[in-house]
Amino acid sequence: MKKLFTAVLLVAFMLLASVSPGLAQDDFWAEAAAAYQGATIRGISESTPPSNYVKDVLAPQFTELTGINVEFETTAWDQMYSKAIDDMEANTGIYDFVYIEQDIIYSYLAQDYLVNLTQFAADNPDLAYSEFNADDFTSFVDYFKDAALENLYGVPMEAFVKVYLYRKDLFGDADIQATFEEQYGYALTPATSFDQYRDNAEFFAAYGESMDMDLWGTTVQGTTGHPASTYEFLETIAPSFGLYNWGINLDTGSAQSANGGALDGDAAVEALTFWLSMLPFAPPESTSSTWDEVAATFAAGRAAQGWVYGENAAWIATDETRSNVVGNVGVMLPPTAEGVMEAAAAGEGYIGYYDGGAFGIPHSSNNKEATFLWLQFIGQPSVQPEWAAVGARIVHTATFDDPLIAEQDMKVDGYYTLLEEQGPLFAGAPPFPFHAQVREIIDPFIQRAILGELTPADALSQAAVAVDEELTRLGYGM
Amino acid sequence: MRNPRTGWLLLSPTLIILLIFGFIPFVYVLLVGFNEWNIFAAEDGLRFNGLDNYRRLVFDEDFLTSIQLTLKFAVFAILTELILGFLLAQLLTRDFPGKSFFRIIHTFPLMVAPIAVGAIWRLLVIPGLGPAPFYLDRWFDIKYQIGSFPDQALLTSIIMDVWHWTPFVTLTMLAGLSAIPKEPVEQAKVDGANRLQVFWYVTLPYLRPILLTTVFIRIMDAIRTVDEVWMLAGGGPGTRFTGIYIWRVVVPRTDYGYGSSISIITLYLTIVLCWLLFIGISGRRKGEVE
Repeated sequence: MKKLFTAVLLVAFMLLASVSPGLAQDDFWAEAAAAYQGATIRGISESTPPSNYVKDVLAPQFTELTGINVEFETTAWDQMYSKAIDDMEANTGIYDFVYIEQDIIYSYLAQDYLVNLTQFAADNPDLAYSEFNADDFTSFVDYFKDAALENLYGVPMEAFVKVYLYRKDLFGDADIQATFEEQYGYALTPATSFDQYRDNAEFFAAYGESMDMDLWGTTVQGTTGHPASTYEFLETIAPSFGLYNWGINLDTGSAQSANGGALDGDAAVEALTFWLSMLPFAPPESTSSTWDEVAATFAAGRAAQGWVYGENAAWIATDETRSNVVGNVGVMLPPTAEGVMEAAAAGEGYIGYYDGGAFGIPHSSNNKEATFLWLQFIGQPSVQPEWAAVGARIVHTATFDDPLIAEQDMKVDGYYTLLEEQGPLFAGAPPFPFHAQVREIIDPFIQRAILGELTPADALSQAAVAVDEELTRLGYGM
Repeated sequence: MRNPRTGWLLLSPTLIILLIFGFIPFVYVLLVGFNEWNIFAAEDGLRFNGLDNYRRLVFDEDFLTSIQLTLKFAVFAILTELILGFLLAQLLTRDFPGKSFFRIIHTFPLMVAPIAVGAIWRLLVIPGLGPAPFYLDRWFDIKYQIGSFPDQALLTSIIMDVWHWTPFVTLTMLAGLSAIPKEPVEQAKVDGANRLQVFWYVTLPYLRPILLTTVFIRIMDAIRTVDEVWMLAGGGPGTRFTGIYIWRVVVPRTDYGYGSSISIITLYLTIVLCWLLFIGISGRRKGEVE
C-alpha cells in the first residue's frame, strides 16, 4: 500500500513537472497583462490565410490568457495601406498594430511611424516574455530591423516565396506526355526554362480546348485594374530574367539605362515580352486577376502551371472544400533565364520575391504595452507550427523541423522544404522609401502593355522616364 | 413685421455645419493645391509651389484621359437614364396589371449601396465566373472581358449606372408628369396637336424644372462616381474616371498637393458644365428674368 501511494505521488509529481512550464507561461500572461485587462487593441491587415488565422485562432487565445481584447480588421490590400498610413500620418491612434509588408517597411521607417520594439522591451522589462526571442526567427526578420540590424520594428507574422505550381496529374499522364513529345520533340516536364514554360503553356491551352475542358496553359496575374500585375512583372518575372530592384538604380536615382537604371533595358523588355506572350494561353479571367484570383484559378483546376504566392500553396494542395486539385499539386522553383540561378546562389541576384510581413506598433498607438504583449504572443515558438500548416508561412527556423510541418510538407509536395532550402535564392523588395509612389507611376504602363496599347519596349521606356520624373519630384532623383 | 434676426438665428445651425464641413475643408484643399506635399518625399511637409500643380495637370495625359472618359460616361449614362426614365414614368402614369409590383421591383436598385452594386455587377461580368461572358461567348461568340477591352469596361460601367439610377429618374419624372394639369394637354389635343407636338410644346416645358434638377443631380453623381466602378473594374483602362484618378493620386501615391489641384479643377469643371446645361435647358440668357 505504501509502495502504491509512493508510486501515485511520483506520477503526480511527474505530471505536475511536465505541465509546469505551461502554467508558468500562463502566469506570465496573466501577471504581465493584469494592468491592461479589459483593454481593447485594434489592428489591421490584409485578408490572407495567415491573417485570418490570427483573427480566428490566436486573438481569442490571447484574450483568454490576458483579458485583453483584440479587434483585428482583415481587409483588402489597398484599403489596409490607406487606413494604416492615414492613421499613422494623422497620429489618430485608431490602430495599435499594423501589418507591415516587407516592401513598405522602408517607407514607414523613413517616416518614423513605428515603435522600436528592442528599445521598448528594454524600457519595459516586466513586459518582456522569456519565450520570445528575435533569434528564433529566420533571416527574414532582418528586413524588419534598422540598417545596423540592431533594433527590431516588426514581429514577422508571415513569410513565403512565390513558387511555380503545376498539376502533377496532367504532367504525369502518359497519354498527355506522349502527345506532347510527339508535338515538341522532347519529354513533358515541369518547366525549368522559359522556352519550356512557353511550350507547356501553349500545349495545355490547346489541349484544354481540344478536350473541351476549362483548362489553360498558365496563370497570369495580369489585372488591368490593380497593382498586382505590376508586382507580378517586377517581383516575379523580371528577377527571373535578371532584372533586380525594379530596374531602379538607387545610387543614380534613375530607372533609365542611360543613367544607370535598367527598367528600359534588354532584360526588362525580354521579361515583359515573355510575360505578355503568356496571355493567350491563360484563362480569360487573367486580365482581371490579382493574387487572390490567380490562386483561385489554380485551385479551380483552370491552369496547368503558374506562379502562385506560397501562402496559398497549403490550402490549394490540401483543402478539398476550396480546391479541385487536392493531391495533384506540384511545387518547384520558378523557371529562370540563363545565369540567374547561379547569380542568386552566389548572392549577386535573386530569382523571385521573398514575400511576407510583420506586425508593428505605430507611435500613434494608445495601448503600446498591451500591444507589445500581443506581438510577443504571436511571435512565440509554441503558436508557430499550426499557423504555418494553415497559412503556408514560416517565420521561425525551428518550425521547419516540427512534425506537423513535416506531415504537411508531404501534402504540399515539399513546399516547406523548398522554402527552407531554396528560400535564400529569393529576396525581399528593394529598400525604397518611395515604394507605393513609384509603383503607382509604373502601373498604367504595364496595364497598357497588357491591353496591347503599348509594345513592351515602349511601355518600359515611357515608364522609366515617368519614374525618373517622380523620383525627382520626391527628392530622390538625379 | 418679421425680424431678420430670427431668420439668421434659425439658419445658423445649418450655416455653422456648412462652414465646418463644407467651406473650411474647401479652403484647405484650395490652399494645399498650391503646394508640393507628399508624405513620402525626401523632404517632408508642404512646400509652396504656386501654380505648378495646375500647370502639371494640363500636360498630364492620365488626367486628361480620365476627364474624357468621365464625360463619355456621364453623357451616355445620363441620356439613357433620361430616356428610359421618361418612358417608364409615362408607363407608370397608366394602369396595367401588376403595376404596384413592377413599381417596387423597379425601385429596388435604388436601395442597394453603390459598393454592393459594383460587387453584383462584377460577379455578373467577371470572366470564368460570371454568366454574362459565358453566355455571350456561347450564344453569340462574343469575347466579353472587361479586363482586356477598355470599351467593354466603359460600356459595362454605363449599363451598371443606368441599372442603378434609372429608377431615380423615373420617380422624379413621375412626380413631374403627375403635376402637369390636364387642361393644357386636352386643349392642345382639341387644337389638333399630335402626340409628339403635345410632348414637345406642352409636356416638356412643364417638365423643364424637374428635368433640370434631375440632370444636375445625375451629372454631379456621375462625375464623382468612384465606388461602383472601383468595385467593378478597379479603375483600369476604360474606367479610370476622374474620381478614381484623384483617389489614386491622393491615397496610394500620397501626392496631396497635386490631388488637391485636380479636385479643385474637377469641381470647377462640374460647375461650368452645370451652368452650361442650365442655360441650355432653361433657355435663360444673361439679364433675363423669369
